[in-house]
Amino acid sequence: MSPPPITSVTRQLSRRSVFEALLHRSPISRADLAKVTSLSKQTMSEVIDAFEQQGLVRPVGRTRGNVGRTAVLYELSPEGGHVLGIDLGAQRLTVALADIAGRVLAEADEATDGRGGGWALDQIARLSDRLARDNHTHPSRIRSIVMATPGVVNPRSGAIELAPNITGLDHLNVVGLLGEKLGSPVVLENDINLALLGEIWHGCARNVDNVAFLALGSGVGLGLHVNGRLVRGENGAAGEIGYLPIGGDPLQAESRPQGCLEYQIGATGVVRRYREAGGRDVETERQVFDRAQAGDAVAASVVEETARLTALAAATVIATVDPQLLVLGGSVGARADFADKVARLLLQLSPRPVEIRTSILGRRAGVVGALSVALRRLHDEFFGVAELAATLPLPPPARRGASQ
Amino acid sequence: MTPAAAYCFAADLGGTKLAAAIADARGSIVAELTEATDRRGAAQVAEQIAGCADKLAKTVGIEVTQARQVMVGIPGAVNPGTGRVSLTPNIAGLEDFDILGYLRGRFAAHVTIENDVNLAMLGEYALGCASGCRNAAFLSLGTGTGLGLLIDGRLFRGARGLAGEIADLPIGRDPASNSPSASGTFEHEVSSLAIVDRYRLQGGTAATTVRNIFRLLEQGDDVAASVLDTTARWVALALVTLQSLLDLDLVVLGGSIGVRPELYERVRLALPALFSRPIAIAPSALGDRAGLIGAVWAATQALSRRPEAA
Repeated sequence: MSPPPITSVTRQLSRRSVFEALLHRSPISRADLAKVTSLSKQTMSEVIDAFEQQGLVRPVGRTRGNVGRTAVLYELSPEGGHVLGIDLGAQRLTVALADIAGRVLAEADEATDGRGGGWALDQIARLSDRLARDNHTHPSRIRSIVMATPGVVNPRSGAIELAPNITGLDHLNVVGLLGEKLGSPVVLENDINLALLGEIWHGCARNVDNVAFLALGSGVGLGLHVNGRLVRGENGAAGEIGYLPIGGDPLQAESRPQGCLEYQIGATGVVRRYREAGGRDVETERQVFDRAQAGDAVAASVVEETARLTALAAATVIATVDPQLLVLGGSVGARADFADKVARLLLQLSPRPVEIRTSILGRRAGVVGALSVALRRLHDEFFGVAELAATLPLPPPARRGASQ
Repeated sequence: MTPAAAYCFAADLGGTKLAAAIADARGSIVAELTEATDRRGAAQVAEQIAGCADKLAKTVGIEVTQARQVMVGIPGAVNPGTGRVSLTPNIAGLEDFDILGYLRGRFAAHVTIENDVNLAMLGEYALGCASGCRNAAFLSLGTGTGLGLLIDGRLFRGARGLAGEIADLPIGRDPASNSPSASGTFEHEVSSLAIVDRYRLQGGTAATTVRNIFRLLEQGDDVAASVLDTTARWVALALVTLQSLLDLDLVVLGGSIGVRPELYERVRLALPALFSRPIAIAPSALGDRAGLIGAVWAATQALSRRPEAA
């Protein structure tokens, strides 16, 4: 195969810059597009005509107020392509559909099928189909799918490993099976990494590049984002802070599978410690936190200890990687009462404290992060230029119907 | 007339000694020297660094202005945005002295300063035991503790240049205590002062320095052996911490204490029981020259990115 002629690279660069301008400045006229992109009016007309034929843009009205002729305003069309974000959690399954401009069109969630494995995959396909159908979106228009999962994806087998809270995913080729069911390739990514990307795109870490996201819920984990990239580690196991030697003796046999820290502050650890301290009739860590707030002294001391160990983990993160911002997330970590305790303890523990914020996307962080990665992949598929390593910057998030 | 050949000047500033070198544009060291660090303070130390460049240039027979790139390792944190240094207890007054500004005034060259352990990491990456690694750390143990990090093939400095300031790692004595302030820090367990204190606390009387403790160990001193066992366990816990956070390929142990095989072996033996995945460690291949060699390498890399300077 001969290399593509130089003109096709030039044309792709023009298309890319027009698309970027539409992404960030819609609705916009051809004249303004030409100004912003420094392309000639002739080139602009060619690109816009091509985009219209592809269904990428649509006219949305005309400029007003000026004397003389008015101009047609364009915006990215929702028909240009769709992306799907999925967050498969141990408790909840969330699916969201967005258009090429990043507008979230629909979102749905339900309790995760407790039987796990193939049942969970069927459930994902069912919920995704329903979401697309309700929005009159043909499945073939969904061009990019990203799913958040706990644990680590094995790149060879496509299975999800180290995710003890959802059964039966470590023996299945999740990547392959889900791709078949949804009719389009699926990219899997660790849920905490995606929650972090969600907060950066749409949440409390906007415009911050150097962020650590400490998630505490069923388990505990850390996402790190530096210089525009996730830190994944040599084997994709960076951020597995459940194994930090905090809160006990790492030689202890019973804490080894989960890790020393998670054994104490993961959901089962919180419940176990509450029971050991005399707490009764308890099933979930949420009950322990609620009772602490309602004045149960035993629960309060368990929560206090959980906050202390979380603060020690946060101090460890700060000493080692020096983030600009530390985000506390997860079902426990994002609780305001809990985050306050951690922040207060951290002041005593860390000689050089950093800014702390709590996740504002909460349970949606993972699915929003999945959408952001799916969007970047779609934009790259349409407008990637081999010579340009950087992906297009994402537009500020917008809900359906919102227009500037 | 052809322009004079380009050279680099590199220095590694420590609390007790200052090492410096001049290298050609390809990174071959053509002259090198070591001096005792001027104890009077930051201004004198800065002058001493410039003086080393003059001496070395004379040895080589070049003008000091032919050093087009200068790289100096600092025993403390360097803010990558501002160039301000902090956490430099071993050089009096350095935190309040604009050493980067001073050096830029003294040299007709591009001048960069960098944390010394970061440079040691680069040295091992370029010419030592971490070549080919993309995710690695250099753990320096001596008078103090420090950590240089290589993440995805690049130095990892943190938002304020404080990444790897693990002296404060809260994994010291009594991590299960109920009072946060009772948690010791890593440096309180493994610095040379801490090791000597531990030796005395365990009933040892003969040693006043870590070097002595290592000598006593050779002579079969049980207290020395026990003190090093304890120290090795703290080091192993720090390695478990690093591995949980960053999933590294290799951790290089360096610094005057870190390079001792007696300690290294003990750490290696302690690790498997503490962590379920293997943690690869290696003793520094470049020893006390790691920082200087890293500085030379970094300077030549920077020079090669500026073709107009060569």
